[in-house]
Amino acid sequence: MYEVYFHNFKKRVALTEEEEALIKSYLSVKKIRKRQFLLQEDDVCKTIAFVEHGMLRSFSVDDAGSEHILQFAAEGWFISDMLSFLTEEPATFNIEAVENSELVLISKSAHEELLKLSPKYETFIRELITNAYIALQKRINANNSQSIEERYEDFIHNYPDITKRVPQHMIASYMGTTPETISRIRKRLTTRK
Amino acid sequence: MIATQTIAIIGAAGNMGSAIAKSLAKGNYNLLLQASHVQKAQGVLNEIKKANPDISAEVINCSFEASWEADIIILAVPYQAEQVVAEKIREVANQKIVISVSNPLNSTYNGLLTNELSAAEELQDLLPNAKVVKAFNTTFKADFEKPFIKDTQVDAFIAGDNKEAVATVKELIETVGFRAVNAGGLSVSRTLERMQLLLIQLSVANNYNWHAGWKVLHN
Repeated sequence: MYEVYFHNFKKRVALTEEEEALIKSYLSVKKIRKRQFLLQEDDVCKTIAFVEHGMLRSFSVDDAGSEHILQFAAEGWFISDMLSFLTEEPATFNIEAVENSELVLISKSAHEELLKLSPKYETFIRELITNAYIALQKRINANNSQSIEERYEDFIHNYPDITKRVPQHMIASYMGTTPETISRIRKRLTTRK
Repeated sequence: MIATQTIAIIGAAGNMGSAIAKSLAKGNYNLLLQASHVQKAQGVLNEIKKANPDISAEVINCSFEASWEADIIILAVPYQAEQVVAEKIREVANQKIVISVSNPLNSTYNGLLTNELSAAEELQDLLPNAKVVKAFNTTFKADFEKPFIKDTQVDAFIAGDNKEAVATVKELIETVGFRAVNAGGLSVSRTLERMQLLLIQLSVANNYNWHAGWKVLHN
């Protein structure tokens, strides 16, 4: 239930049994089924979700009703609408389960309490957020400087597991393109091989 | 829009559990009906689906699984069964709202089985990391079907220490159709449990036919 969470935690910061028990007492576990929402746009995001098993995605919906995927989160990743979580403003993203999933959740109040109580929790969270920041920076730079073909190749190289687990239209949405374009790229890649 | 919350009703085939489940089906919730008598729970589910064809609800026979999936857990089991259930669900009830419905009445209805603490406080001790809230304990089953008695809306009291949890439970009470009255912290549940003892005694003595409730009159 918390195995992946604490495995990830201890990779970054060592924990004694007491420290682990303290942190655990502030967490909650939740199962969520495929297509259920953890967060819907306009609601305030009250949790950070860590994926223990399964996969979630966050996305926005534009005025024309098209979805734009910001992030996928598989085992060992966390997902939230950080802007809404930190400012308590209405969320601009939706978070939905792509597969039946098991989550470790931390609420805003528990998160703040733990930041005060546990310097190790603070280190862990800071590393997670730093890594997420780096990933976002890379993604923005790639969007501005690389062709869609290069970005797709990078994606399937970096995330072979996600490529297998999510439908192609979602990858297209994540890349900011259409499923047809992704199909054409895939064809070109196979013929090239 | 708010993401639909999942509510596990533990003891959904019972008197109170089935009444709560049927009433909450009016709201936008995913309902998980847990009961040891699966067939009885299935009967409750059939009734719910007949009245609310679009509802997301299902029977689940394991209290641990139901609580794991839930955002809110309603413990609608008799007081005597609470300890066993609490031990089963402890790990998955962490940080979740757990509603204590029970009244710890003795078998002759002339006193309580609890000593100093209320049933809700005992439950909080059993589930130290859950947000226990006392609610739905001062209302009879028939009140859920008719939350108005002679045109007067029945009051339903809440006691809990966590503000956010109390606010969420208030929404559930309003979905059922009662007027929610925030009575204070969890220790006020001692009074709430005694109020139901009195209401039961009055109901028996005066033949209220189990359709009676509390109303606070004020200006």
